Amino acid sequence: MGFLNGVRSFIVVFNYFCMAFTLLLSVIYIIQLFVSFVRVHRDFSKSFSDDFHSYVDSDNLLPISLIIPAYNEQENIVQNIRSLMKINYPMYEIIVVNDGSTDKTGELVINAFHMHKIETSIRCQIPTQKIEAVYYSKEYPNLLYVQKANGGKSDALNAGINISRYPLFTCLDADSRVEKDALLRLSMEFIKDSRTVVAGGIVRIANGSKIVDGELKGFTMPKKLIERFQIVEYYRSFLMGRVFWSASNSLLIVSGAFGLFRKQTVIDVGGYKRNTIGEDMEIVVRIHRYMRKNHKKYRVKFNELSVCWTQGPMSVNDIRSQRRRWQIGLMDTLITHRGMTLNPRYGFVGLLSVPYNWIFELFGALIEAIGYILIPFTLIMGELNLFFFVIYFLLSVALGVILSQGSLVLEQYTHRAAMTAKQSIAISVYAILENFGYRQLITLFRVEGILKYRKLHKTWGKIKRKEFEQ
Amino acid sequence: MKIELISVIGLLICLLIIGIEYVMHYRLAELQDEHTARIEDIRRRMDVHVEGVLYAPTENSRNTEIKALANEINGDFEVYEMAIATIREHKGTAYHDDVEAQELLIRRIDDEVDPVGIYAKMLDEGDIYHKGYACRRLAELGAMEYRDKIKECVDTKSRDLAYNAAMALCCMGDVYEVSEYLLSIQDDRLYSGRIVNEFFDKFTGSRQELAESLFEKCNKYMKCTIIKTLERYRIEAFRPMYIEGASGNDIQMKIACVKALSAFGYPEDEQILQMAAKDKDWVIRSAAIRGLSRLKSPTALASVKHALSDKEWWVRQTAAQAITRMDISPRDLEEILGGYDRFAADAVKTVLYRTVDTEG
Repeated sequence: MGFLNGVRSFIVVFNYFCMAFTLLLSVIYIIQLFVSFVRVHRDFSKSFSDDFHSYVDSDNLLPISLIIPAYNEQENIVQNIRSLMKINYPMYEIIVVNDGSTDKTGELVINAFHMHKIETSIRCQIPTQKIEAVYYSKEYPNLLYVQKANGGKSDALNAGINISRYPLFTCLDADSRVEKDALLRLSMEFIKDSRTVVAGGIVRIANGSKIVDGELKGFTMPKKLIERFQIVEYYRSFLMGRVFWSASNSLLIVSGAFGLFRKQTVIDVGGYKRNTIGEDMEIVVRIHRYMRKNHKKYRVKFNELSVCWTQGPMSVNDIRSQRRRWQIGLMDTLITHRGMTLNPRYGFVGLLSVPYNWIFELFGALIEAIGYILIPFTLIMGELNLFFFVIYFLLSVALGVILSQGSLVLEQYTHRAAMTAKQSIAISVYAILENFGYRQLITLFRVEGILKYRKLHKTWGKIKRKEFEQ
Repeated sequence: MKIELISVIGLLICLLIIGIEYVMHYRLAELQDEHTARIEDIRRRMDVHVEGVLYAPTENSRNTEIKALANEINGDFEVYEMAIATIREHKGTAYHDDVEAQELLIRRIDDEVDPVGIYAKMLDEGDIYHKGYACRRLAELGAMEYRDKIKECVDTKSRDLAYNAAMALCCMGDVYEVSEYLLSIQDDRLYSGRIVNEFFDKFTGSRQELAESLFEKCNKYMKCTIIKTLERYRIEAFRPMYIEGASGNDIQMKIACVKALSAFGYPEDEQILQMAAKDKDWVIRSAAIRGLSRLKSPTALASVKHALSDKEWWVRQTAAQAITRMDISPRDLEEILGGYDRFAADAVKTVLYRTVDTEG
């Protein structure tokens, strides 16, 4: 009897803990939203007098190497390279690194751009798998195609860094599209503040949007519910979270789909870590660690006006695989850099950003999932007042809606969406609906990621994506 | 009961916030729709007027069309800029190829529209960002009568406004104000480097005068930055200073001066560049090699060939790129490519494969 009472008391206490945890998280998110509002408003106003187009012929503008790691990307690769050739940037090179694809990726690139094999010396500053061949085309002098043995995405990126010529590089997913002015806007972060070592742009869900040559031409509501929820989710994640963390120079993640890096800094930290699926987060955390440890002045920036479009997963299975991978990547990075947690040597990053990621981003999913099981159970046991339960549930939903709706207001404020007023309002309905089913489903996938960490942390999932509308 | 009451109050507050957010969102969405519709409407009408101006059969009808266009613009800077951009981009008329005629036409439109008045109003009434924008536009329009007002903006606390105002003065060629502004930021090393570069690029007055005025008062960092910036303008009057700096012991000054001296490509500077090519600092060696490649003398070629096996990758790469611009004989080239010096062969191969079509 005593044991049962103990279990009962534990469950009740845990319930209150879950509730307090959710409320605390919501309060943190609301602070983030408020800070983001201030920052986005300031940046947007500032952009009026920022004549970034005048930098096109400026000596201050640093040339960029665009590295595209490709593994079995035959559907999108040629189309993506062609779209990259139209971006508005005066000096850049495109390096396609074929990481031992088993499909026709290489053949398609070589034929489409009339490339031929060249002999070249490569400055091997980061060790990689063997580079088998380098192809070049006189017709497209800023395009280079590298054929290498399979070693994973990080290895392909490191090979791209070794062969690149320019001081800045960006890694782009083969299935993403960069807006015409995105690189120019992003490189302004390096011009305006020479301490900048990494700058990330905003990644938007392209499902439903018509993107032609890197320009948004229109929007139709995607057919699947899962795609509509992701639109809201991405706005929230980028416009709220990243703007806030960047304001305090403690942004831990720059999207793998679109980030601009100072090459020398990445080389100094040893390049991308191999055998991890969260290489985009890991490299940024390592840069923070290295710079703070060596007392170097640096900045990790986020620019909400530089846009990259990506196709979001369209099936539950794909989104499951994606979220599981993200959670494993987060866990892997936090474990690798656990020494930074609450370590004053790493400043705001060690004292706030890393612990926040441990508590709310990693274990938050676990606590939320246990709460979903225990709270109804406690209700059945009669330990929880039904009225209180209903109020609490509505409160947590309302807090979630405030955050999502706030991000949509931010999005509308920056006038970036090509949506009509009707579509905007329609999308905001999903800010409410996502709290009934979608959010819980995502939490379960995240928990699955944590539970399967040991088994899956070295595997790279592949998501089936739709081709971009032309 | 207390906690339940607090929760209910919390919920009500949340609902209120959500309501406010929805209203804001709806209003913003509506505004965006209105803005899009307005711009489309203006653009449609603008196209008619611009075509009227461009294709008018007689000067009288062109004047009428210009007046109609000015009425359409009606003091709105966005519409004015849209009209000017449309005229500049419009293809198919004689104005597209004849830049002078195009500018004359734009001046006629300006006489009717008075863009200076539009931007002057913005300078008086706008926020700091609008003021900054107005400063630059006024400078582009050559509105010298607003110079004093722009000068006032340079002294404001807002860094953005001060920058835009100083840039406007730069476009107006104001030596004193621009040098004062640059001197005021010289200790901010994270900022001043790029600003010097931008300002010298856009400066419409005498760059030599501006540089001289800065050299009198600036610190060493600023001086080096200015010398590096002046490299591409090749100002003869500063050559003796570059020669002195390139032969001195101060590394930063030496780098800047060797780079500046290299840009001239004068045979009489060869000896200094030869010395610099043997410097222990690789940045100086690399700059000197670039300079030697412009001389094309046998001794310069020998130094560049020697640099192909430099221990520093960057110098080897610079030398390889430089050698393709020099008069190297095929025999010499073969010797390098097939020689024992792998560094040299690799560096030259990398450059050659990208500059010469090797297909087949």
